[in-house]
Amino acid sequence: MATRRAFLAGLACASLPRLSWADAGSPAYLAAGKLGQDRFVLHGISAAGQSLFQIDLPARGHAAAAHPDRPEAVAFARRPGTFALVVNCVTGLVSHRLTPPEGRQFNGHGAFSADGSVLMTSEVIAEGSEGRVGLWDAATYTRIGEWASGGIGPHDIKRLTDGRLVIANGGIQTDPGDRTKLNIDTMRPNLTLLSPKGEILEQAELEANLRQNSIRHLALSGDDIAFAMQWEGDKAEPVPQLGLWRPGSAPRLCPPADADAFAMQGYAGSIAAAAGQIAITSPVGGVLIVFSDQGVPLVTLRRADVCGVARAESGFLATDGQGAVWSCTTAGLSPLSQQATAWDNHLIALG
Amino acid sequence: MVRITALVLGFGLMAAPALADLKQAVEGQLTPGYAAFAKASADLAAAADKDCSPEAVKPAWNAAYDAWLAVSFFHLGPVEDDGRALAIHFWPDPKGLGAKAQRALLSGDAAALEPAAFADQSVAARGLMGLERLLYPDTPFEGDACPLIRATASDLARMASGVNADWPAYAATLLTAGEPGNTAFLSPQEALQALFTQGATGLEAIVDQQLGRPLGSFDKPHPERAESGAAGRSQRNVALMLQALRGFAAALDDKSVLTLAGLDRAVGLAEKLDDPAFAAVGDPQGHLRVEIVQQAVKAARDTMIAEMAPALGVDLGFNSQDGD
Repeated sequence: MATRRAFLAGLACASLPRLSWADAGSPAYLAAGKLGQDRFVLHGISAAGQSLFQIDLPARGHAAAAHPDRPEAVAFARRPGTFALVVNCVTGLVSHRLTPPEGRQFNGHGAFSADGSVLMTSEVIAEGSEGRVGLWDAATYTRIGEWASGGIGPHDIKRLTDGRLVIANGGIQTDPGDRTKLNIDTMRPNLTLLSPKGEILEQAELEANLRQNSIRHLALSGDDIAFAMQWEGDKAEPVPQLGLWRPGSAPRLCPPADADAFAMQGYAGSIAAAAGQIAITSPVGGVLIVFSDQGVPLVTLRRADVCGVARAESGFLATDGQGAVWSCTTAGLSPLSQQATAWDNHLIALG
Repeated sequence: MVRITALVLGFGLMAAPALADLKQAVEGQLTPGYAAFAKASADLAAAADKDCSPEAVKPAWNAAYDAWLAVSFFHLGPVEDDGRALAIHFWPDPKGLGAKAQRALLSGDAAALEPAAFADQSVAARGLMGLERLLYPDTPFEGDACPLIRATASDLARMASGVNADWPAYAATLLTAGEPGNTAFLSPQEALQALFTQGATGLEAIVDQQLGRPLGSFDKPHPERAESGAAGRSQRNVALMLQALRGFAAALDDKSVLTLAGLDRAVGLAEKLDDPAFAAVGDPQGHLRVEIVQQAVKAARDTMIAEMAPALGVDLGFNSQDGD
């Protein structure tokens, strides 16, 4: 660490031009985790799966959003979230702390606009769980407005390259004080596409018999929006955890192979797309399934408590609750590193 | 790679007891369990070949089922390859997929019953539950069930033999956890945690599925949802699964006396229930008696997590227990 300390000291003295991601040691990923019994942290991770830096969080984190240009990331609290921290990934210092407006809660995910000027946060109105997209000026991190998310309980949001925003409205109303689910019998998740100005352009729902499949996480795969679901219905029913939505048409569901119908136990924790493939993970089933970008299952890989997954130079990188980072291809899993931090739900690819 | 080596060295002190516990659970229970299940399934296939009438096949089917329940809680390794566990024991089946697929097989092309073709049939149609529907039909199947009984029994024997043949390699993977080249388990603790999780999850499944499905709610019980109610062995299944999990828990840590006492209590209650098909859950007294067993299993699981997990230095998965 001496080198890093010297580097940081140098930074403090020098008047440098605008910092870039390269100055942060070029982390390729961010991941939240838990250290010991009660310490929560955010790590920057290299393309080779090694931790480059570690920053303390005030409570359990969930996902993060990376600024498109500045080496700056926003780490979101786990829902119902009361904080989001803007972290300078070079210095490891927190530059801003975002608090949701009165009566709003962060819901774990967020995204920057293409030009990096606006941060958009997934939020709910605490009473009733109606979804909002919070808007923040990314220069000052002040609240500048909000949009309707188009549903109940939004979770993941992703910006498309053309500036449109897709939202996974999970459909689940939760108790404002905790995570108790209140409307499982009547839940109705949807995918909502917003214009860059926040107007609802299009919405997609699942068939009536799949309305208890909460749409929670998103990945952009070519012209498709890949979405991962969590089943709230009867565990004995085999339901798909992956779907593909191309705006303008109905969502397509992508079941696993017959033999793996229950391998994920109805639960997808994370999703990522990379070079013609899509990976979804289930810590509950201890599996990661790689599909083609057309939704054809290619391989089922097993690892206890695997959850985080993100695109890599070759295939995917995956993280688990035992602190391991894995390289993942259709040929299998191979370990890259392991350490004391138990990796939380998501591995966020930068850039 | 450097970090992994350092970690393995760090676990060096803990490796010896962890490996002893692993070895006991693997070699004392799972290895003989899979061998016994393979043998009982082969006997079942032979019995069906000799005489396919239900009365002649039932004893061997019950014996194979009993043997399966000694290892059915364990969902790691070869039993998960090619969906074997799912096909061996496809339950619950709320949509009746199995019966539907079997009716198609009975009225369809006999070529589908050839071993290679049958192995590709729906997992819902095969295995122990497929045989139960043929041996204990609530409404008789149309046509001659004999070829399907024989095909299903042979297919079960094939899967059981496959699991048994593949098991030693996976057992070696568990027992060499943390050694260089073992990329499945990066330390003995990881393998121990995997086994512990199987035990705790097995108890949870009994609470939610074998007992929870027929119990439904007090106002709306579902005796018709009991596992293997047709064969009248719902209660027996629970008792045998609990016995297996009791043995497994003792192998993992025989010093966790509260856990073992809790499991003994659950086994005892399940054994003396006297409600073979859980038909009595439809009346208040019967419902209460099964619910008491369910409470006992729940309590044993809670104790196992509170007592045995810290004793072994493991926990249930961080993400699997509390996702989002």
